[in-house]
Amino acid sequence: MSNAIELQHIRKYFASSQVLACDDVSLSVESGEVHAIVGENGAGKTTLMSILYGLLTPDEGQILIKDSPVRITHPNDAIRNGIGMVHQHFKLVPSFTIAQNIMLGIEPNRAGFINVNSEAEQVRNLAESFGLPVNPDLPVREISVGMQQRVEILKILQRNAQILILDEPTAVLTPQEVREFLTVVRRLAGTGRTILFITHKLAEVKAIADRVTTMRRGRNVGTHFAKDQTIRDMANLMVGRVVTLTVEKGPAHPGETVLQAENLLVAGADGIPAVFGASLDVRAGEILGVAGVSGNGQTELVEAIVGMRPVDGGTIRYLGQNITHALVRERREAGLAHIPEDRLTTGLNLTTNLDENVVVTSYQHKPYSQQGIFSFAPIRALAQEIIDKFAIKSARVGEPIKTLSGGNLQKIVLGRELKGDPKLIIANQPTRGLDVGSIEFVHKTLIEARDKGAAVLLVSVELDEILALSDRIAVMFAGKVLAVLDAKEATEEKLGLLMAGSLELHEANAERAHV
Amino acid sequence: MKALRQTLDSISIPIIAILLGLAASSIFVALANVSPIETYQKLFCEGFGPRGCQNFGDLLFFQVSNGDGGTSTVFSPLYGEGGSRIALLLEQATPLILTALSAAVAFQAGMFSIGMDGQFVMGAITAAFLGYWVPDQIYLLVGVTDPEAAPIILKTIMHGVVPLICLGAAMLVGAIYSWIPGYIKVKLNVNELISTIIFNAIAVQLITYLVNFPMRADFNNIARTRRIDDTAWLIPFNRGIFQDVEWFSGARVGVGLIIALIAAGLVWFYLRRTTAGYEQRMTRGTSLFARFGGIPTGRAVLRAMLISGALSGLAGAIAILGVERRVVDGFATGGTGFDGVLVAILAKESIVGILLVAPFFAGLNLGATNLQFGDLPRQLGGIIISFIILFNAMEDFIRQRLRALLRGRYWTRKSSATSGESTAV
Repeated sequence: MSNAIELQHIRKYFASSQVLACDDVSLSVESGEVHAIVGENGAGKTTLMSILYGLLTPDEGQILIKDSPVRITHPNDAIRNGIGMVHQHFKLVPSFTIAQNIMLGIEPNRAGFINVNSEAEQVRNLAESFGLPVNPDLPVREISVGMQQRVEILKILQRNAQILILDEPTAVLTPQEVREFLTVVRRLAGTGRTILFITHKLAEVKAIADRVTTMRRGRNVGTHFAKDQTIRDMANLMVGRVVTLTVEKGPAHPGETVLQAENLLVAGADGIPAVFGASLDVRAGEILGVAGVSGNGQTELVEAIVGMRPVDGGTIRYLGQNITHALVRERREAGLAHIPEDRLTTGLNLTTNLDENVVVTSYQHKPYSQQGIFSFAPIRALAQEIIDKFAIKSARVGEPIKTLSGGNLQKIVLGRELKGDPKLIIANQPTRGLDVGSIEFVHKTLIEARDKGAAVLLVSVELDEILALSDRIAVMFAGKVLAVLDAKEATEEKLGLLMAGSLELHEANAERAHV
Repeated sequence: MKALRQTLDSISIPIIAILLGLAASSIFVALANVSPIETYQKLFCEGFGPRGCQNFGDLLFFQVSNGDGGTSTVFSPLYGEGGSRIALLLEQATPLILTALSAAVAFQAGMFSIGMDGQFVMGAITAAFLGYWVPDQIYLLVGVTDPEAAPIILKTIMHGVVPLICLGAAMLVGAIYSWIPGYIKVKLNVNELISTIIFNAIAVQLITYLVNFPMRADFNNIARTRRIDDTAWLIPFNRGIFQDVEWFSGARVGVGLIIALIAAGLVWFYLRRTTAGYEQRMTRGTSLFARFGGIPTGRAVLRAMLISGALSGLAGAIAILGVERRVVDGFATGGTGFDGVLVAILAKESIVGILLVAPFFAGLNLGATNLQFGDLPRQLGGIIISFIILFNAMEDFIRQRLRALLRGRYWTRKSSATSGESTAV
């Protein structure tokens, strides 16, 4: 087999952030191969793919396609060379139909007038030839995320892509959609096309990749045959040390109800209700996991519970007290802690130093300030305490935090939020973008908090995480809590169906039998 | 060592920006068909040098004849024969310091308010009015018909009280004038940049009207208000404590400068040492972090706008009570407020930076104004300042090139990049 792509000694340095994203990376991918690229966040995977697709130009190194050097400085160069990319966030026009999206910019036309029929016809033929059926006349805003991804793939196939780059393709899919996606990838590889895909999910690598390249801190630390590697091998290679993948946790001892949300109605950023009559309750000493495909109202639900988003209807009770319209500060002072979805803009202020970050929830109290004037010694002591307790290696009291890694930043958030043993912890995607080692740490910390008697509401789009940590699992779909299951009876299968909106499990099963 | 490196790091960019700004401006100077070097010599001499300054060297040391034909060398900034230009520069820097502090406080709450001009003139007109109205009322109350003949003891008390009333009222008016854009931002999400621009325009028109009609004092060619009473006057050093020091003789620098320096200290303390300052600084940016932490963000923003407005109002009052003593038509379009915005940007909102940049800015303006009597337009000062701000904003680019240059990597990297290209083609 010949090499479809060869990257030689790629180096990319970002002067503004002083990050060496790619450090002498070489990589060769054979034709017809499914090649996975794994690595922690910030390992340089996306940078490398962006270089291949012409979104970034490397400082050094060259790209060979079918053994001849090419110059790719713009996505147009990449497309000309048969390279197509599906981004993590889809780039489709919601109001256009599937056919219009696929043919965007290459519309069949006569004297500038688009031939609509031939457009739909071409798309239908294309879709059939690859066994990826779509209805070309549906507007994109009305189709599911899995279907949108299919449209993205068809879009690059229409442009004759022989090499497909997929950036975290399964992050937004339900388990059923993932399974379907994996068969599509196999089928495409069968037609002689080359697939390069970036992922965090090692199980998927095992399932479909021929070879896997692991990146760590901008370097290629090894390319292996996927069948020769266990998930544990890959995880260890990614992190550079031995990690434990399973979460040890004893049985829960649920106590009184701490949080009770009833019939919540919350508007999203666009003013349209994002939470539509959701109810749930969390008891002391248990973890309630909230599963769901992202964008089904989880974020708005969390923001309403912590007080950052107004509630239009329903009630939120905390230890029996109505806090539906209480201020963030009032809730926090009553013992609520919040680990937000986005630690970079919400959980932390990266423009300032460690001290000012750890004190944001308590600065107005003694000993941190008196009569509105700061006392710095206790604040420094608090910062040091968090550094010591959570072993945040590279953080220093009084120093800026913007250069710290995602894992260390999340430790700062955890340290601040868990200080003073909160009664209720709201954790939204607490391990998003973290590497295996940091995930392990966050999970352990949350379980410790539970065992100390805290009520934990865990929102995550990672089913593995929900299944590993939760004592009970609520599934959100279209702004509602569809069901609350005991963790013991929840399976990936069941949750996946609920996440896709099927209320009646047997009905859904019957449907699957037909398809 | 680390502190030294940090200091060098923070001052290197502004200095490079100044040099680049001068270099770029010299294109315009050359277009006017004069030598840039000579022009800059004149500019800096007129702005920062002693009387009779001829070249860059004179800025530091200066030869003076001592009457009997001999000469002696003096340290220029301390040379005060005919009144030092440094004193004049400080006179002009005083309101600039305050409006720059005003801008810095607003910016550090995430409010890009540029309403300093409006607040400045509102403060000024308030002080100009109260500067004669309050003494009038006091004389009336006490029954003094001829202020000239008022008892010394009354005048002394009034000297202590009247300026305070004027300054306080001007701060209040400035604060309210700044609070309104803040309030409509917080409650109605009206962009503060637009509302403050509009408020500036309103203030300018209002003052023009007041000066031309209700407050017009006499039939002087240019409309002007009545002069403030002597008891409202913030007496300049050259009439007061430093009456006999020639260095101060040509400038109306005075108590206002001391007030400005105290204000700078207080603003620093407020921003860095108080929870209120912390609240407004954390509110900056997306403000998600502040809301997440439970900080009352709306209150923090409004407090910042009040303080910012009070500082600009104070600047306006000092300009009247210490220097102008009346509002003359055209005063409202002087641009001291907007210059303060530029100073704050150039100083990166640092308080120490403002105290350094404001005099520099004032000196450049002064030099350029005096150049006007020569061959070059006054606008040269503006051009230079604009270029300096532009280059200062290119900090990242300059820093990157500077680092590469210092490591000697600039050329090697460039050559390797080109060789890489040639093989790739």
